[in-house]
Amino acid sequence: MTVLARFGVTAPAWLWLLPLALLPLAASAQRRVPIPSLAMVPADGLSRLVDAVLTLAGMAGIGFLVIALSGPHLAGESLARTGEGAQISLLVDRSGSMNETFAGRQPSGAEESKAAASRRILDGFVGRRAHDLVAVSAFSTSPMAVLPMTDRHDAVRAAIRAIDRPGLEATNVARGLGLALAQFGTGAPQASRVLLLVSDGAAVIDRRVQPTLREDFAKIRPTLYWLFLRTAGSPGLADRPAGEDTPQAAPERHLDLFFKSLGVPYRAFEAESAQAVEAAIREIDRQERKPISYAERRPQRDLTGLAYGLAALAMGLLLAGTLIETDLATRRPASRPAASRETRRAA
Amino acid sequence: MTGDILYRLRGPAAGSGAGAHRSRDTGGIGVFRDHVPFWRHPDARRIDLRATLRDPFEGTVVRRFEQSRALEVWALVDLSASMRFRGAGATWDLVTELCIALARSATRIGDAFGLIGCGAGPELVLPASRRRGTADAVAARLRAMAPGGASADGLLAAATSLAGRRKLVVVVSDFRLPEALTGAVFERLQGHDVVPVAIEDGALGEGLPAFGLIELEDLEGGGRRRVLMRPSLRARWLAREAERRDFLRRLALRHGRPPYRLADRFDGDDFSRHLLGTAA
Repeated sequence: MTVLARFGVTAPAWLWLLPLALLPLAASAQRRVPIPSLAMVPADGLSRLVDAVLTLAGMAGIGFLVIALSGPHLAGESLARTGEGAQISLLVDRSGSMNETFAGRQPSGAEESKAAASRRILDGFVGRRAHDLVAVSAFSTSPMAVLPMTDRHDAVRAAIRAIDRPGLEATNVARGLGLALAQFGTGAPQASRVLLLVSDGAAVIDRRVQPTLREDFAKIRPTLYWLFLRTAGSPGLADRPAGEDTPQAAPERHLDLFFKSLGVPYRAFEAESAQAVEAAIREIDRQERKPISYAERRPQRDLTGLAYGLAALAMGLLLAGTLIETDLATRRPASRPAASRETRRAA
Repeated sequence: MTGDILYRLRGPAAGSGAGAHRSRDTGGIGVFRDHVPFWRHPDARRIDLRATLRDPFEGTVVRRFEQSRALEVWALVDLSASMRFRGAGATWDLVTELCIALARSATRIGDAFGLIGCGAGPELVLPASRRRGTADAVAARLRAMAPGGASADGLLAAATSLAGRRKLVVVVSDFRLPEALTGAVFERLQGHDVVPVAIEDGALGEGLPAFGLIELEDLEGGGRRRVLMRPSLRARWLAREAERRDFLRRLALRHGRPPYRLADRFDGDDFSRHLLGTAA
C-alpha cells in the first residue's frame, strides 16, 4: 500500500475549505504600492523567486491549516514479512520451588533463585532474534496465559521479567502444556515452532489428559525443549527410583518418557547451574532458525502535528516577508491638509 | 500663491493680436527694429531726420518698430492613470498647480491659454482664451478631474489639432509613454515651441528604499509585482531611470528645448528660469 493510499482524514468536511488555499494567487496581504508604471522596475530573478516562494507559502499556510483541522493521519496497516526465526511458546514453571536456588535453599547474598536465573537467561534469548514470535505462559496449580504470540519483544521481556515474582503452590504441568500449545494458534504453518518448557520438577500427567495432549502435539508438531532446572541432589531424568517405578515415585522420569513418546522432536536439558541453563538456551537458539513469515503491524500515524508544523513554517516565511516589508518614501495623502483648511475656515 | 511665470517664445511670435512678445512684424510702436528707405515703408511720421541727413546716398530713411504680438500658450496634459501617482509629491496636484500658474501668467500679459487633457483620446479640452477667468476655469476643471486613462494616445490627436500659428506648447506628462508615441508627439508639434515638462518623483528616484520587500502595483492596470529591493537592484533601477531621462532629453533637444524636470514641488521661479534660459 502506498503512502498516499493510506492517507486519510478524520473530519473530511473541513476539506471543503481547501479552495481557500488559492486565495494567495488572487490577493496578497501585503500593502500594494501604486507606481506609475511597472516598466520602470528592472526585471529581477531573485524578486520573482521571492514572490513565488511567498505565494506558495501563503497557499501552503492556508492549505496545511485546513488539512490540520481535518485531522490527517496515515491509516495503520499490517505487512506480511519474512524473516528468520521461530514461533516460540515459553512455558515457565511458577511453582514455589522455583524461588529456591539450585542448591535447594532460599537465595541469600549473591545467590540467585532458579526463577531469577531463568529470567536472566530467557531475557537475553528473546532479544537476540528480531523476528521471533514469542508467547509466554506460566503455570503452577493452574496455567496462566501471560502474553499471546507476539513480535513485540519489549512486551515479551517485560513478561519474562515478571516470572521471578515469588511463585506459588504446586506444579500442574498438563494444563500448562495445553495452554502453551494453544498459544501457537493456527497461522504460519510452515514456521518452526518451539515449545520451551522451563521447570524444576514435574508432576504426574493424568492418564485421562494424556490423549488430548498427544493429539495437540500431533496437530501442532512443535519442537519440544524441556529445560529441567534440576535441584542439586534431586533425581535426574534418567534415574530410576529405588522403589516402584511409578509416575508418582519419579514424575520427572515419567514426564520425560511421555515427551519421548509424543513423536515430536524433543530434547531435554538437565541444568544444574545457571551456566548449564545458558548453554542449553544457546543450543536452542542455534537450532531453531528457519524462515518465518510474520505480520508487521504499523499503527495509525497522526499527521496533525506535521500539518500544523508545515503551516507554521509557511506562516513563518510570510511573517519574515511582512517584517522586511518596506514602502516608498511617500508623503501621507493630502486629505489631512484639506481637512485642516476646512476646520480653519470653520473656526 | 506662486509668482507669475515668465516665458519667452523661442523665435518670433506670430500671434494675431498685439501682445507682449517680440515678433517679426513691424508696427506702430515698440522696440526699434531697423531703418529702411522711405519707399519701402512710406510712413512720414517715422522719418528719422538724423539718419536721413547721415545717409551718403541722400535717401530718406524711415524707422521701423517691432510689433509685439500676443501668442497662445497651450498645455497638453497627459491624463493617463499614472498621473495619479502620489510619492514625495502628488503628481496631479503638481500638474494642476503648474497649469493654473501658466494660465494666470498668460492671461495677465494678454496671451491666450488653452488646455487639452489627453487620455486615450482628448478628454478635457479648454479652448484658448484670453479671459481673466481662464485660470479659475482651469483650476476648477483640473481639480475635478481624476486622471484614469489607460494610455496617452490622445496626445497625438491633440498635437495634430494644435496646427496654425506658432504657439508655446507645454507638454505635461511623466513621459512613461512608449518611446514611439513621445517621438510622434514631438514630431507633430514641430512648428511650435515645445516645452516638455517631465513630472518625476523623489520617491521613485533617490528616495527608493535600499532594502525590503515591496509590492508594486501598476497604476495603469499592468498588474502587480513583488520586488525584493536591495542595493544592487536599486542601482539598476536608478540607472534605468537615468537612461530614460537621457533618452527623453536627447529626443526633446532634437525638437527644441530640453525637458523641465518637475519633481515633488512646483517652483514657479525655477520654471521661469528654465523657460527663459532655454528660449534662446
